[in-house]
Amino acid sequence: MQQTMQPFDEGFVTALAPELILVVGLFTLMIAPNMGDGKFRLPMTQIRLPYLFGGRRGKLDSDPRLPGLFASFFFVVAFFTALLSFVNGMTTTAIVTEDGTTLLKVDEFSRIFELIFYGALALASIASINRMPATSRNDRSNAGLYNNRRQVDFYILLITCGLGMSVVALAQDLFLLFIGLELASFSTYVLVSFMKESKEGTEAGMKYFIVGSVASGVGLYGLSLLYTWSGSLQFEALHNAFIESGMEPLPLVALSMLLVGFGFKVSAAPFHFAAPDAYAGATSPVAGVLATASKAMGVVGLLRILIIVASPEATDGAAVWLVALGVLAAVTMTWGNLAALGSTNPKRMLAYSSVAHAGYMLAAITAIGALNWEPANITESKNAALAVVTALVFHLVVLVCFKLGAFLVLSLLESEQGGHTLESLGGLAKRDPMLAVTMFIFMMSLAGVPPLSGFVSKLLVVMGIVKAALIESSVNGSISFGDLHWVWWLALLMVINSAISVFYYLRVGLVMFFHEPEEGRQGPLPKGRSVRFAIVACLVMTVFFGVGANVLISLCESAANALIGAW
Amino acid sequence: MMDWISIPLVGFPLVASLALLAFVGNASPAARAKVGPTIRFLSLVISIAMLALTTAMFFGQLDGDTMLDWNTMSFGSFNFEFRYMWIEMLGIHWSVGMDALSFPMVWLTTFLLPITIVATWNEKNAAVYFPLLLMMGGALIGVFVALDLFMFYVFWELTLIPMFFLILKWGGKDRKYASQKFFIYTFTASVVMLLGLVTMYFMQPENLTYAGDWTGRTFDIPTLISHSQAANAEGNWFLGESMQKVLFVMLMIGFLVKLPSVPFHTWLPDAHVQAPTGGSMLLAGVMLKMGAYGMFRLPLALFPHAAHHFQLYLLLFGMVSLVWGAIVCLGQTNLKKMVAYSSVSHMGVILIGIATMQPLGWAAALFMMFAHGIISPMLFAVCGAFKHHYHSMEIGAMRGMAKHSPWLATSMMFAWMASLGLPLLAGFVAELMMFLALWHFLAAEGWSVLWMVGPALVLALTAAYYLWSMQRTIFEGGEKTQPPESLHGAPVPDIADSEKLAMIIMAVFTILFGVMPWIALDMMNGWTVGFFNSLLIPILGGA
Repeated sequence: MQQTMQPFDEGFVTALAPELILVVGLFTLMIAPNMGDGKFRLPMTQIRLPYLFGGRRGKLDSDPRLPGLFASFFFVVAFFTALLSFVNGMTTTAIVTEDGTTLLKVDEFSRIFELIFYGALALASIASINRMPATSRNDRSNAGLYNNRRQVDFYILLITCGLGMSVVALAQDLFLLFIGLELASFSTYVLVSFMKESKEGTEAGMKYFIVGSVASGVGLYGLSLLYTWSGSLQFEALHNAFIESGMEPLPLVALSMLLVGFGFKVSAAPFHFAAPDAYAGATSPVAGVLATASKAMGVVGLLRILIIVASPEATDGAAVWLVALGVLAAVTMTWGNLAALGSTNPKRMLAYSSVAHAGYMLAAITAIGALNWEPANITESKNAALAVVTALVFHLVVLVCFKLGAFLVLSLLESEQGGHTLESLGGLAKRDPMLAVTMFIFMMSLAGVPPLSGFVSKLLVVMGIVKAALIESSVNGSISFGDLHWVWWLALLMVINSAISVFYYLRVGLVMFFHEPEEGRQGPLPKGRSVRFAIVACLVMTVFFGVGANVLISLCESAANALIGAW
Repeated sequence: MMDWISIPLVGFPLVASLALLAFVGNASPAARAKVGPTIRFLSLVISIAMLALTTAMFFGQLDGDTMLDWNTMSFGSFNFEFRYMWIEMLGIHWSVGMDALSFPMVWLTTFLLPITIVATWNEKNAAVYFPLLLMMGGALIGVFVALDLFMFYVFWELTLIPMFFLILKWGGKDRKYASQKFFIYTFTASVVMLLGLVTMYFMQPENLTYAGDWTGRTFDIPTLISHSQAANAEGNWFLGESMQKVLFVMLMIGFLVKLPSVPFHTWLPDAHVQAPTGGSMLLAGVMLKMGAYGMFRLPLALFPHAAHHFQLYLLLFGMVSLVWGAIVCLGQTNLKKMVAYSSVSHMGVILIGIATMQPLGWAAALFMMFAHGIISPMLFAVCGAFKHHYHSMEIGAMRGMAKHSPWLATSMMFAWMASLGLPLLAGFVAELMMFLALWHFLAAEGWSVLWMVGPALVLALTAAYYLWSMQRTIFEGGEKTQPPESLHGAPVPDIADSEKLAMIIMAVFTILFGVMPWIALDMMNGWTVGFFNSLLIPILGGA
């Protein structure tokens, strides 16, 4: 079903329900912890009207865990609302201004990315509930609130981050997309440096902010060039302009600048330098969000720019960005893996592994660029592009399960001041066998060992690339090996890289199972019930999406269809 | 109808082991020690039930009329076929079945599981160890019964995880290095294989049976094989010449590393020496056979043209493995390492058998897989007992074992003799067949008979290293020997009753298959002839 509406028309609220729930959550978080028994005395009288703000705060809202619970609640509700729109059959809704500019579009593609964002943020927020330093819940003065200010801020930032990300997913206009990107980015800059007591936290936030804002600036400049060139930032208009005159220098320069901006977001080499520092300095749940949701946001941007705007279809034959992106992919995956081999901080290791994963995703996008759009090949090419985008979306969804899960396990260690060296994982199998096994499963999934979801996602990506490389064969019958498109070698590089990556993932297992616990870490781990809940959720999903991948694949395919079907 | 029977055969040990592991997962060491014996007993019962099931399959007791006779099954037909849609869009099925290629391996796995459990009855940390063995068994059976490429690959990789932990947790001094090397080596090889499989997946013509809704391609192995057969019959290379060659090489990389063949064998001695006895038994007994099994199941069956093209390379790999393995054995002072290299040498026999491209050679390879699957666990059980009782693996550590522990000495002698190919024992049959096939190959190609010198020399070398090590361990010193120094004056123990039982069973079956090889050989022979007729005859042009 399709519909078009103007902002605040009838049905606007239903169409954008998940986002509006987050807005409600945002205001709730701003208001709720301030509620108290403050009274307002009518002038000249003795009548005191309850005013509800200030004064002594109530028993409930002085609880420092309240913001976390609220935020988790709203994220979960938003998540299920978004999920519900799949259950009932998606109503594709375009939000259009009066003069006909399409602003937002709700479809399977944007919804599934919202599921990724909300899922990751919900897990991160659940895992953070007991993480912030807090004063006693019995302190009901307003000063208590100020002392606990960070509790609230942290979750407010998580929510704005979620809002920004959903705008990116929904946007049909480059400018809007950019605004969403910046909203999310600024929230993450602050979230990264939230542990301001530690040197690493401040340094990480600073680095992340500076590099990030430079990248954004470059991207914005590219955006302005595009606007100068075509006079519009609408995806459709840009797409048409590219078909007409995409090979002019101006749009190509703009395109490469945008690539820099989004390359930073997905932490592709050589724009990844801030990522390991940021991940290592941020608290683990936040680092997990950076590695999953924030990366997914970058991929949305890349897909919109590369597949929709500068679409390979528009530039007849191979895409203009084909070689550039192929090189970028090869460099990124190899660099990430080699750097991860040498890192002893598990968070940095995960950061580099996330760089490597970015390389795999770029390789997949490259494969789309390699497709041939001659009339004879067009059906096959469309199918191949569909397969690749499905694989990408699948990969991003399951990444939330195991990569975030791994970060959450580290988060549990962080709450006893560990998690910054590989050695602090030592003896985890003795201290908490189930947690060690869980971490090992996450590592195996990252390495792509069947039957876990990480394997299925890697398989889908390899399959997508190979399918694209073999497009000739399905059109002309069999082809010889020499006729394979060179993107096939990216698939080879990818499997070799994942073989390398096994080495550092296994090392985590070795340390957990065979090293003795560090001094002062012999006892059982902190309880952290909420973190453990989130970890178990991740574990279940990691295994489930591996063994029962069917459901998720069809979901991702509908998303890919929504993106590419427009061609 | 019991076509679903392979699901519990694969699934039950896996689920049971996971349940047991979850059960003991968070228990304290004391509690774990307490439930250890119960779990060990449960594992034994489960494994014996599986053995009973496969044995009943062999005697045709399970499926009444619908089950085909193993000995007369034609190539391409399967017993206990079962199919269940797993991932519809990609055409992935839970598709299983057994033919005369896979059934001996399945039976072997179920046969070795209880024996391994009994032979390592007193292994420490029993509550985790025995479930891991079960998991290993389930995954191995999964590899052998899978008729779907995806499923095959899943189980192929799944076998790595329990073995990784078995080596890591119960292994020797350098277990970390060995287990990582084992994992990375085989994983690297199998991802290359995976890329080959995926490429083949998209190279195949569209809309074969059981194709995915969305990709239009199938993972179904029998469908692909029959399609390849059809292409051969028309005189074409399935998938085109250059593609077939590349894919053949990619798949073979995965299988040659697993087998292992000589340039890729270095993980094996490390893994074996460090692995616990139970791990070694399953590793040598079944896991190495996965490589040979995979060759028959995929590259040979799918790409007979390429196999024929690369025949001489395969022969070369086989020869080098055979000779090199034997030569290296001569230099070993570590008992277990020697046995590990002898495995490399025996795997060379399998590879030569495959490379002859004749039914006889293939039957030799199949029978070698089976015979080595019974003999090599016994070798490793002896090594394990040696290590366990004498706290050393050095060949010279114990002298005059015949006097101090006669049971172990007898078992060792028997196992060593079986492995060096004494007539009337199972290993001899396979080696004899391989020599006949090689002879026939040389004669047919018009090559000099001098090529036989290498393999024949290996027989002498094998006898040399086995007899030599036996002489030094069992007999040297005669009545005047002292117990080994590593025991520090403690009395020399003989092997435990459970170990005796395991040795006796393995010895009995070694003799059984040596004296009456046709029990297994008949079905292997029927299968290889069918394989040859339907795949290689069209390529060789009649004959």
